Amino acid sequence: MSNGWSLWVMFLVVLNLGISLFLFLWGPRAKIPTQPDGTTGHVWAHGVLREGMHRLPRWWLLFSASMFAVAFIYLYLFPGFGNHKGALGWTSHGQLARAVAANDAKLDPLMARFRLYSVEQLSGDPDALQMGKVLFEDNCAACHQRSGKGNTALGAPNLTDSDWLYGGTGKDIATSIHDGRNGVMPPWASLGEDNVDNLVQYVLSLSGAPHDAAKAAAGKPLFATCAACHGAGGKGNQGIGAPNLTDHIWLYGGTVADIHKTIHDGRQGHMPTWSPRLTDDQIHVVAAYVYHLSHTTDAGSQQDRR
Amino acid sequence: MAYKHFEAIEKHAGLLGVLIAIMVSFGGLAEITPLFMEAHSIKAPPNVHPYDALRLMGRDVYVQNGCYLCHSQMIRALRFETERYGHYSTAEESVYDRPFQWGSKRTGPDLARVGGKYSDDWQRMHLMNPRQLVPLSNMPGFPWLAKIKIDGADVQARMRTLRRLGDPYTDAQIAAAPAAVAGKTEMDALIAYLQGLGIDNEPTPAVAGSAAVGAAAAGNAPAGTGGTP
Repeated sequence: MSNGWSLWVMFLVVLNLGISLFLFLWGPRAKIPTQPDGTTGHVWAHGVLREGMHRLPRWWLLFSASMFAVAFIYLYLFPGFGNHKGALGWTSHGQLARAVAANDAKLDPLMARFRLYSVEQLSGDPDALQMGKVLFEDNCAACHQRSGKGNTALGAPNLTDSDWLYGGTGKDIATSIHDGRNGVMPPWASLGEDNVDNLVQYVLSLSGAPHDAAKAAAGKPLFATCAACHGAGGKGNQGIGAPNLTDHIWLYGGTVADIHKTIHDGRQGHMPTWSPRLTDDQIHVVAAYVYHLSHTTDAGSQQDRR
Repeated sequence: MAYKHFEAIEKHAGLLGVLIAIMVSFGGLAEITPLFMEAHSIKAPPNVHPYDALRLMGRDVYVQNGCYLCHSQMIRALRFETERYGHYSTAEESVYDRPFQWGSKRTGPDLARVGGKYSDDWQRMHLMNPRQLVPLSNMPGFPWLAKIKIDGADVQARMRTLRRLGDPYTDAQIAAAPAAVAGKTEMDALIAYLQGLGIDNEPTPAVAGSAAVGAAAAGNAPAGTGGTP
């Protein structure tokens, strides 16, 4: 704030407190003309109610006076009187820094303990799971759902099963969270509608799902193209996040229409990188929680919504 | 002053009202006027730039659809906010926001640094129908945005107006605007705007809000978090 505006604020503060103080000191001393009966002569309800004359109660005077004292002490201690910083040097940013430091001090011993363990070991630690659950719900649940069961409409993988696009070790999971992942399936509409239909049937046959055997046979030679990523047997490739097509787990849905859309239009999966938002310690804890989701018998019964 | 002055104030409601208004106005005059008058002295830091054509339209779509009625864009300097949303917001970040979208109504989460938190596909599905992704969300869907095409000449007019107000748009930028928004819908613009919120314009961590935020500002990750186009 420039000096001019600082003076403006000081002027207003002095004016406001000055007027209030003047009224406080002068009001009770003002001589009010009284009637012989001791009232002011102001009447209501045809003289039934008359305004009396009494001194202000002592408690009221003391209370008001103390309010002035509080105002002066406040303006001395805290910023408020123009550019005066206040004797305490209080700032909102300073208060935030203290709050953060206090919180870090509280969490540091816990984090130091968590750092001693691998993600796998940590997935059995109730403290880590409690913290991981909160972080998961704040940051991951928007795509993977609170339950971790994922969302096939978006292509967010189910985290409670044993199928992993990019590997399911603690290190793999932490890397996925830290750096994010970009899955790209190119569109194959150029193959022609018939070929796409045949490929859909062949892909269905890989997992033993009901399919049209003739079309699947026709689609089989075409799968050579797909094998570049999904492998000759369709088992996928965790190095590039190509899904395993031989299980019953579908990233974007397993109906004929879903698979057709996937092959015809391709898919772009994007998991954001979390390193700018979460600390390495937090990622370690979230990874432990995610690992726990697929390695616990009651994961399936976790609440989907609260 | 004598009693008669006191009596005059007490017996004339109009005069009493005027004097009360004067006393009450002191607070506003002291707190609001200096900030209001000195707002123009706030300069954009080097990492804050005027919105590109698509994001500018996205910002106007945001305002037009009343997103600010539920979403603020101001992270307060409180630990539980910086922990959740990132570094607290600063005035310098909003110099090219006309009007600023700080807001105070928080039915939904703060969006000041939402850029890159979700993928573009997530934002699209969420704007079409939020319950596809968040089962208990009470946010309305905005599916019609995907049907409205953006008019390039309209964007240019907006950029020229903002230049008149002082935003440093170059002739080349304005000339390139129609090409940048060609074929784009209001939905695309809004997603581009949302994905840019807080990206690249975080304050340097002089007093980092939290460890997480410090890392965010240091890494600043403009490339990784922007979402694939």
